[in-house]
Amino acid sequence: MTALEQLQTDFQNFLLTLGDSMDEHVVGTTKFGTQERLAVYADAYRLRLLEALEDNYPALHTLLGDEEFDRLGRRYIDAHPSSHPSIRWFGHKMHELLREETPYRSQPVLSEMALFEWTLRGAFDAADESVCAIDDITGVTPQAWPKMRLQFHPSVTRLNLVWNVPALWKKIDQDKAPDKPKAEEYPASWVIWRQELQQFYRSVATDEGWALDAMIDGQNFGDICGGLCEWIDEQNVAVRAAGFLKQWINDGMVTSINV
Amino acid sequence: MSKNKTPTRPYLGFGLGLRTDHYDAVIKQKPDVDWFEIISENYMVPGGKPLYYLDKIRQDYPMVMHGVSMSLGSSDPLNQAYLKDLKALIKRVEPQWVSDHLCWGGVHGKNLHDLLPLPYNEDTIAYVADRINQVQDTLGRQILIENVSSYVSYTASTMSEWEFLATLTERADCLILLDINNIYVSAFNHEFDALEYLNAIPIERVQQFHLAGHQNNGHYIVDTHDHPVIDPVWELYAHAVRRFGAVSTMIERDDNIPPLEALLTELDHARSIAKPILEESVA
Repeated sequence: MTALEQLQTDFQNFLLTLGDSMDEHVVGTTKFGTQERLAVYADAYRLRLLEALEDNYPALHTLLGDEEFDRLGRRYIDAHPSSHPSIRWFGHKMHELLREETPYRSQPVLSEMALFEWTLRGAFDAADESVCAIDDITGVTPQAWPKMRLQFHPSVTRLNLVWNVPALWKKIDQDKAPDKPKAEEYPASWVIWRQELQQFYRSVATDEGWALDAMIDGQNFGDICGGLCEWIDEQNVAVRAAGFLKQWINDGMVTSINV
Repeated sequence: MSKNKTPTRPYLGFGLGLRTDHYDAVIKQKPDVDWFEIISENYMVPGGKPLYYLDKIRQDYPMVMHGVSMSLGSSDPLNQAYLKDLKALIKRVEPQWVSDHLCWGGVHGKNLHDLLPLPYNEDTIAYVADRINQVQDTLGRQILIENVSSYVSYTASTMSEWEFLATLTERADCLILLDINNIYVSAFNHEFDALEYLNAIPIERVQQFHLAGHQNNGHYIVDTHDHPVIDPVWELYAHAVRRFGAVSTMIERDDNIPPLEALLTELDHARSIAKPILEESVA
């Protein structure tokens, strides 16, 4: 190990664990001693990452309050140091930590809120692609419909949420007091996407959620109609499925129609 | 300084760091800013608002790109994926120039998201010069490196920061983004003479100045970029203009961001300091 690598390894270990690995490497002055000098870096390291987490998880922050969010943030920083050149991606495992670790796992609404907020964040700067207009599908011949596949905008993401997270998020986003967290009997289907520069989210019926998952997965219209028979009478399936497709196109979720 | 001492360098005038808070004001008002500096990493994203506003504002203003994650002094290998993304952004923005910091930001695959100082010695110069050369080869252009604020001095340092910076830039044949505030901050924290620093920097290497505010904690200063530029930094800036001549100057505000008008007023102050000095130097 070169002297430079040793110094940097010791400095990094100091920042991550706050041990004494840097004491031998630095010199101070009477008015500004070595420990205080090192503390500037240690404080800045955590405060910068905490700020990034606050930016990425404003509603989670509100649900937890300042003190508990700070405690969670420091725990996250210790558990998942950043490895990405951009701080924008810091915090991507927050929902996992909340889902798996005590005391947070006893409040699953927290993990779902983190997942919801991270997904919205992803929609914010997902890749740009032009989307289809409804006229693009009216030109498809009836014979071509069964083999038709769709490509979706990179921002389109499906979530299943047990808790009333989107409602809580909306209230918090409007600076209103959130309602009490409430669990549904069954997970509700949601879709998040961006249309031009604006993020959107909406709940979808169970069959629409299934159809959307299947089409994102690459299945064709015929496959979707077959699968939807689990929920709908066979004679109504094609109309129901076509309605979904038109809705997705009108929502700006579809980037290409492949026949 | 005399006219013939002024090196031939591209000169953009007086700029600001582009910040999201000011996007709408910049687009609607088209303020009297000669150019904008962007933080490269803020636009190394797949799409959406950041790139939309970037493209829109780029249509009206010259831009330079300023990175925070090249980690030129890290003992880790250069991050080739990062350089590839940076190159793609350069192609999109077509900036006047590209800069990053003379620092390291993490080792063993981690990123500490800080601008950590290097030990000032011959080994570091040889190592970092080689890496700057690699980056310049990859990007196909000279880069600017910026002096960072620092709070620690290493036992491994054998020379001053200004000797280190001057020697390194000659060795790597790169340019300098001289942060006047950082010199002031480090001079205060390490008890050296800021003028001695300025006077040791090779004139022909300096292509851009940064100006910023900081937080004075009494016996040390933290480089927070969340306050207006203070008078002693303006005085140092005046000295820098006298020494280096017409160098593109910008105000770097990263936190506690005021309305655009406040920064425009601060930028006018920079103009009012530089203009008479530059007019006198060519008279």
